[in-house]
Amino acid sequence: MQWKRKDLLGLYDLSAEEITFILDTAAEFKKVSQRRVKKVPALRGMTVVNFFVEPSTRTRVSFELAEQRLSADIVNMQAQASSLLKGETLLDTVKNIEALQVDLVVMRHSATGAQNFIADRLKCGVINAGDGAHEHPTQGLLDLFTIREKMGGFKGLNVSIIGDILHSRVARSNIWGLLKLGANVTVAGPSTLVPREFEEIGVRVCHNLKEAVANADVINLLRIQHERQNNGFFPGIGEYASHFGVKSSTLEWMKPECMIMHPGPINRDVELAGEVADGENSVILEQVTNGLAVRMAVLFLVAGCRK
Amino acid sequence: MNSCQQLFDAEEMMAAVRNLAGQIVGRFSGKNRKIALVGIHQVGVKLAELLNIELKKQGYDADFGMLDITMYRDDIGTRSMLPRIHETEIPFDVNEKEIVLVDDVLSTGRTIRAALDALTDYGRPGVIRLAVLVDRGEPEFPIRADFVAFKVDLPAERKVLVNFEASPELPAGIFDVYWHK
Amino acid sequence: MSELLLKNARIIDPARNIDQIGNVAVANGVIVEESELKSPEVIELAGKVLSPGFIDVHVHLRQPGNTTAETIASGSAAAAAGGFTSIVAMPNTNPSADTAGAIEYLRRIAAEQAVVKVLPCGNMTKGGKGEEMAGIGALKNAGVVALSDDGKCIQDHGLMRHVVEYAKSFNLPIMDHCEETTLAAGGVMNEGKWSVLLGMNGIPGASEELIIARNILFARQINWKIHMQHVSTRESVDMLRRARAKGIPVTGEATPHHLTLNDECIKKFDTNYKMNPPLRSEDDRLALIEGVADGTITVIATDHAPHTQTAKLVEFDHAPFGIIGLETALPVCFTQLVVPGIIGIPQLVAKMTTGPAEVLGMADYSLAPGNAADITVFDPEAEYTIDKNTFRSKSRNTPFDGMKVRGKINLTVVDGKIVFREGC
Repeated sequence: MQWKRKDLLGLYDLSAEEITFILDTAAEFKKVSQRRVKKVPALRGMTVVNFFVEPSTRTRVSFELAEQRLSADIVNMQAQASSLLKGETLLDTVKNIEALQVDLVVMRHSATGAQNFIADRLKCGVINAGDGAHEHPTQGLLDLFTIREKMGGFKGLNVSIIGDILHSRVARSNIWGLLKLGANVTVAGPSTLVPREFEEIGVRVCHNLKEAVANADVINLLRIQHERQNNGFFPGIGEYASHFGVKSSTLEWMKPECMIMHPGPINRDVELAGEVADGENSVILEQVTNGLAVRMAVLFLVAGCRK
Repeated sequence: MNSCQQLFDAEEMMAAVRNLAGQIVGRFSGKNRKIALVGIHQVGVKLAELLNIELKKQGYDADFGMLDITMYRDDIGTRSMLPRIHETEIPFDVNEKEIVLVDDVLSTGRTIRAALDALTDYGRPGVIRLAVLVDRGEPEFPIRADFVAFKVDLPAERKVLVNFEASPELPAGIFDVYWHK
Repeated sequence: MSELLLKNARIIDPARNIDQIGNVAVANGVIVEESELKSPEVIELAGKVLSPGFIDVHVHLRQPGNTTAETIASGSAAAAAGGFTSIVAMPNTNPSADTAGAIEYLRRIAAEQAVVKVLPCGNMTKGGKGEEMAGIGALKNAGVVALSDDGKCIQDHGLMRHVVEYAKSFNLPIMDHCEETTLAAGGVMNEGKWSVLLGMNGIPGASEELIIARNILFARQINWKIHMQHVSTRESVDMLRRARAKGIPVTGEATPHHLTLNDECIKKFDTNYKMNPPLRSEDDRLALIEGVADGTITVIATDHAPHTQTAKLVEFDHAPFGIIGLETALPVCFTQLVVPGIIGIPQLVAKMTTGPAEVLGMADYSLAPGNAADITVFDPEAEYTIDKNTFRSKSRNTPFDGMKVRGKINLTVVDGKIVFREGC
């Protein structure tokens, strides 16, 4: 196949073949970062705008480094959704960016679907760096890349995603990607944070940590955000950690070779105990390394395709 | 619709591969017999493999690598779609090495320009030479091949296709192909 | 005054149980016997349906406050094009229609500029804030036909109870936007499969159902009329059905969009599918249709809610709720309800005439001689594609643009005066 999309908005839109194509491309870009010269001229002369309408450090740094390694020129823009509301509209802002002849906009936004909304109205490419609780496709892809690299494939693989599924864009991108590639997906956590509706798309839903990890080949732990406690989703961080946090004692319920993932940043000793995060089953830092390769691949493919 | 005319048959093509191997050996015979072949995806890799077999027959144990130049192309962003990137594998230290870059056809020279950039990102080779099966004669860049089996003079809009693996649609050989719009 | 003779139409007059081919005569703004006409303008209407003028009990005219989106003049022109001869203007303007002065302003502008009858609706509470009762007696004197805090909902049940009791003494029906706000907080679409898959904040059906249940309890206890605006869930329809069977004075309306669209539409992030209550699940939609078919829901109302393109062309989360509906109501309902045989033309006409008239307590809303000549004529065979650029409304926020429909308004007559005519 050949890559034909000018945007990457979410894994919901992609076919299994397209996802595999990105992962294959990322494998070649991973090698670039292992060379002495960690840079290729692929996007030389192109301008990428990193437009973050929601604070981010990790994803933005990863994208920025990926862009530098592709020889793109980079502009970083930060804005607050609240100030956008008062002043210029989002569409006006990105139209102005486009008028400066940029080639790609990498965008994060707190509102679900904001990237879909602008991608339809821009000629330049749009890469979603996270929108609301909707999708975070490059995180989903780097998780898939890491799983494929370690496990060899997806067919029949049991993957459990544990934590605040309701508010997680990482969970949704993972779910779409894993289902398309043939994995068995479980989502787990307290029932206030893990809606039953996921069963309608063939995902197993459970509210018990032991059940969630028992047959898993991979567990992917999501960050628990403290503000959810204030909204009454669970009684407290301590209670969450004792019932749903993965600790050394949890490992006894798990397959010995089960791989442990986390998109970061980790709340140590909340969703994941420090000794497990640093233990031999953890691939958390490899995820970060792979994130760079996946983002290079996505930038390259999207920039390389003119509508 | 396209028209397709055979320029050389399979037998002539394989003779040319042997001829090319001979030219390479001739150039390197006085040295320490250490040659590195680097094929350019896709057909250049196949050609490099065939050359490697010939070199082995003559007692040369060449280093072997393959290169995908997609990341180094000068037309990214001007195409409506992007092809799959093939595996790049340079399993030896290129520093001070004498490298023979292998491609099936030298046409515009742009692929070789990209390949030189790619290869030098792996280190600082001592010498890089270029071996091609077919030289079309009028490159757009000041790039010439060191080892050539055939010189073919055709209008620019025609494509020279090297096919090593016979299929029901196309026998092995070298073809002059023209795509009617 | 001019005279009209509307000839050979299929006359559907639900209040008098009439469905027959015939003529309707109009003179001096009222319906008369044909024999009283001297030199009428004759309009041939063979093949068309003629009925009492449609009434929309749920319209936002945006004046005063947001006249870029709509005005009394443009909204009433849109109503005329949609076959509506009377519309009830919701009070959530800026400032709110919570005082006699605000109602007098509306009536004055409407008298000067509106082409259809604009019936004022006053707030139940000051500013629609749900905190203090508005001057309901003064509003009554100023001419309101009903009370509503539409767009918001009184959360204080004690206050709501008093409002209903007080309104009863002034013979004013209550029209309530049913929404429990702690459950709905932050929501932008229906809570269900699609909100979960899209990662959007949901508004659960229970938010509406809790208030419907409350209102049914008050309507029974106080024995006064409460009309449930834009009913959207299966449970709401079920509660309404049971309450009506017991004789409790409650009514409910459904909008054309809740009858025809569901929450899966949100996946394109088009803000013209964002309204409150939100588009619900397919099961809820089917329940609304059942409610329309079995008579539980007696009113079709548009919740015509104009917003400028600027306001709507933003992130889905940030877009205002609401879509326009006056100019698409008949064709959308005809196509979705009558064409598939769910209800007949007389039932559809009743839900746009006698049903709303009953909510407002209008006596004898019919084509009987002596009544005001408010008449709507439509072609039940005409097929066309909805084009938002033809709208009289100042706004274009509709999800129905480009929809292939059947059923076209040909003639709207208000007090004997033709206010819209196209194709007859």
